[in-house]
Amino acid sequence: MASRLAPATKPLFRAQLSSRPTNGHVAFIPQVRKVVFEYCEKWASSANTRSYLHRHLEDLARAHPHVEVVVKQRNYKPPIVRGFYLNDNEKVIGLNGFEITGIQNKVQLLLDSSGAKIKPLKRRTIESTTESARGIWSGLHVDETFKI
Amino acid sequence: MGHAQKRLASTAARLASVPLSSLKSFPPKQATSSEAIFNAEHWSTLQPPPTSAFSALAHRIGLGSAIGPSDLQQACTHPSVLSLHAQHRPTDPPPAVNGNLDALGNSLLGLFATEHLNATYPHLPTRALKAAVSAYVGPLTCASVAKEMGAASLLRWHRTPPTSTRPAIMHTDALSSIPRALTALVYQHRSLPTARTFAQSFFLSREVNLRSMLKFRDPKMNLVETVHKFGRERPVSRLLKETGRFSNSPVFVVGIFSGADKLGEGFGSSLKMAEYRAAEDSLHRLYLTQTPPHLVRVPTSTFPMTQGDVFTAGEEGAYVPGELGETEVLLGSAGRSSIVQPKRQSVSEEEVEEL
Repeated sequence: MASRLAPATKPLFRAQLSSRPTNGHVAFIPQVRKVVFEYCEKWASSANTRSYLHRHLEDLARAHPHVEVVVKQRNYKPPIVRGFYLNDNEKVIGLNGFEITGIQNKVQLLLDSSGAKIKPLKRRTIESTTESARGIWSGLHVDETFKI
Repeated sequence: MGHAQKRLASTAARLASVPLSSLKSFPPKQATSSEAIFNAEHWSTLQPPPTSAFSALAHRIGLGSAIGPSDLQQACTHPSVLSLHAQHRPTDPPPAVNGNLDALGNSLLGLFATEHLNATYPHLPTRALKAAVSAYVGPLTCASVAKEMGAASLLRWHRTPPTSTRPAIMHTDALSSIPRALTALVYQHRSLPTARTFAQSFFLSREVNLRSMLKFRDPKMNLVETVHKFGRERPVSRLLKETGRFSNSPVFVVGIFSGADKLGEGFGSSLKMAEYRAAEDSLHRLYLTQTPPHLVRVPTSTFPMTQGDVFTAGEEGAYVPGELGETEVLLGSAGRSSIVQPKRQSVSEEEVEEL
């Protein structure tokens, strides 16, 4: 019996095969999982936050059932709202100095975010998981071969 | 983040998380009393996650109205906690675990993935089909899906070392049981077609590179045998374009033709390389032929759409099976090269015999 040749191609191990996520292609999983409001019971800086919590919080929680909403008392400190995301990131926004519409905007910002780090769009080239629709130009695949 | 912080974060992610808002008192009384050694990890594993977390999970994956929090808690509890529960809380009733749901969901996912891939890629070789099924619904994918759903913090499991009868239970194994259990729950609470839609949304829409699963030792010989099997003319390779011959950066574009049809095209820095790539391209174009998604028909569409399991009677759906294609050429695969495939007679030979 001749000695066994090494396989010409690398073997595939089925238990090590995986796939990449495509959130939004068919089903969309919202990335925010919990929103925590921290306010002070006494100080005036939390007054607007307290009235927001009394008037609008329940409707917000009902409109977004996929988010856990937590209200925490944190005395003698300015009010904040924290968002926890599925990529284990946290976003913290201070609510001091905002009117109720401002607080609503900041909470909506947390609910819309994915938790990914904010990167500047100015210098980034195209990033995609799929190849280009029209293909990459080739000088050999035109009617007149491209001459350098 | 440094290496040490990353290790710490990944270790912390595997531990059961207990939100403070769900506890009546913290630290727990067992921790401060001097009766026995307090193991914080075991204590946190035995704490159930809050119901609000399960309700949020249900709505996040679109099952808010279908499955209740207690069923979801069962889906997120791995059987490895039973030994821990018996050890630390022998008087309490054991928690509901997802062992049976895991097995049922695994079978369902395997069924849906196989029929979907078979209908979508009718010419895909068998071994590549099996590898693709593992890629779409295998253990690593299931663990990823659980993390992306946000169920990793709701998982209750216990790391178990390997014994002589079963392998070790690690974080990936425990995590992968959650999406399978969820599929089984959807089947139990609704129907098989609904479970198929669930599998389609979370598993079969994921991105898998099938091209990397097709590997050839000799694509030219493989192509010659395949073309012969389909009863077409012998493949001939022709140089389509070239540039830079005898320079340090030549480019050759070779096409492989069967009669007047171009089967595939390849480029390379040598004629042999370009011909090899052209043969590979031809085989890829055959094996990766894809049915358009709106024309995919699967056998499980015959099950009735009404609520209930597969054993309840109902109106059968229509199913038109796809055409059977030719099987792939087994060439130099896993030591079976000594087996000779029966050659198909060409068209002209058959006509002569009939006369």
